[in-house]
Amino acid sequence: MSAVAEQIRIRSLTELDVARIVAIDERLTGVYRPDVWEGRIMYYLRRDPDACQVAELNGKVVGFMLSDLRGGEFGLEETSGWVERFGVDPDFQGRSIGRRLFEAVVEHMKRHGATAMRTLVERSDSDLASFLRAVGFEDAPLTALEMRIA
Amino acid sequence: MNVEQTTLPKKYHDAVLHWQRHNFPDYGLLPENWQKYFPNDPEFCLCAKMEVGMGDKVEVGDAKGEKRREKPAELGEEPAKHLIAIIRAQASTEFGSIQQHEGTLARAQDDEDRFWVLRVMAEELRHGYQMLHLLVEQDWSAVSGQKAEEIVEEILSMQTGSHVLDAFNLEYDSFVDNVVFAAVIDRVGKYQLSMQRVCSYKPFAASMPPMLREEAFHLAAGVIPLRRWVQRAAQGNALITTQAIQKAFNKWMPRGLEMFGHEKGGESNIRFGFKNMKNAEAQSLYYEECKRMVADLNQRFIRARLPKLSPEEAEALADRLMKDRGKHEGISHEDLIQLPDKAFFRRKGDAAFTMVGFAGEAFTDVEDYVRHLAAHLPEPYLHSRDMKQYVESLRQVAAGTMTTDQAMKKMPALKRVGGMCPCSRSVRWVMEAVEELPAAHSQS
Repeated sequence: MSAVAEQIRIRSLTELDVARIVAIDERLTGVYRPDVWEGRIMYYLRRDPDACQVAELNGKVVGFMLSDLRGGEFGLEETSGWVERFGVDPDFQGRSIGRRLFEAVVEHMKRHGATAMRTLVERSDSDLASFLRAVGFEDAPLTALEMRIA
Repeated sequence: MNVEQTTLPKKYHDAVLHWQRHNFPDYGLLPENWQKYFPNDPEFCLCAKMEVGMGDKVEVGDAKGEKRREKPAELGEEPAKHLIAIIRAQASTEFGSIQQHEGTLARAQDDEDRFWVLRVMAEELRHGYQMLHLLVEQDWSAVSGQKAEEIVEEILSMQTGSHVLDAFNLEYDSFVDNVVFAAVIDRVGKYQLSMQRVCSYKPFAASMPPMLREEAFHLAAGVIPLRRWVQRAAQGNALITTQAIQKAFNKWMPRGLEMFGHEKGGESNIRFGFKNMKNAEAQSLYYEECKRMVADLNQRFIRARLPKLSPEEAEALADRLMKDRGKHEGISHEDLIQLPDKAFFRRKGDAAFTMVGFAGEAFTDVEDYVRHLAAHLPEPYLHSRDMKQYVESLRQVAAGTMTTDQAMKKMPALKRVGGMCPCSRSVRWVMEAVEELPAAHSQS
């Protein structure tokens, strides 16, 4: 385990993580959008803050994973953990932070009765897809469909 | 979640609903609007929730490693007395905050903010209900000298002014208080609940995780609206200013710091295995966390005012403004929010009645200090009974006619003066008869 990995602390999301999540997103996408993240983080905090994890290094959040426990959607009766968004500060990528966040989320989901983890990924995002496959995701029998209406 | 839900025996459950009708009339709006503001969230449940799977061993204190206690009698008399005081205080804060929020709830400018606070209030009601559950499910009469009915009636009869902790005896002046209270005072609640997770009394420990999960939303119901408000303030919205938010912080931060108890205390909580931190340690972590919250708010303000700045440039500007107390790029340091000094406007603890100013400066003249407070606190609060009483005591302490200890105890309280209704309105402001006070040393 690297020195950095040893210092990383994984913990549940809090409302004060908004600023750092906004900053990580800005570094990843080049877009500053605090209002979007304020809305999303409020959503997760009111549902289950422990289902969302952040990685902290020396008190600074360097990665996050937002997820949710659900059941019954799309005819999927079994309780599932859905990973919606995650990100790791580019300065700290390649150090297993995403994997450690994912493991913490999976542990939480298992404790609360989930039997599967699910997520959606853009076909064009090969980096993301390869990360997800590396932590154990496989092709699902479901296909995501969409129809533009405006 | 791995929780067991249970309801109180009917007479107590009905007493809580009775209290709600008198003190929380907006409660009924929540289910009517739940799907609009909280779609797909589980419906609110007025019940006690106990976490399943808490460890069986005491985690800290003299009994570390022993089996967690499940009945008050197993605690021993002194620890049991101590714990019932903690539970009563916790119950008092939960019901007390609802009474405070209710007064200004309808003044919210945004319905979303209003319904977030409404949900916070409902969950505080559940937390109060949880504490009553702890008090009635076991027999505490040997240590309390009261029957369960009497304890419940006493708690439900408390009004703003008669609650155990000072922060719950202050009226709100506007909806700014609803939001700043959630960000500042509920944060103390988070610390207390987190510390109490280790509690050697298992039913109390098992009550904490479900409450903490709900508390995370309460803090967000403070911080997220504040972030939006400072953005609006930065963009020139005249209806919300950082000065108004600053003054609300100045009103609540001193009370929040005092909620941890005296800085020299907390030893017995650890010895009895009730908490895992002493008062000063927890208070210090809390203050640092509040600093971080304020720094984030200031970043939100600067980037809304100067969107072309990078995050690093915005941080550098905030540092510069705070350091030189100047004005740069159209932003003054007074546009930003700052935490008052830990000793500012204190009436309990090490700094009680010490006349320390907002920035940590010491005052020697009491009237100068009162003018300083008037300049830093919300104007409606200056006209309150609480403020009048504080200033009167401060003058006496400064004149040497009252000790600090006497001043700390001499705050007006609402007392029940009759009536059997558990949420009786038959309470009045009562000043305890003050014994002739011996000459005391000055606090300066």
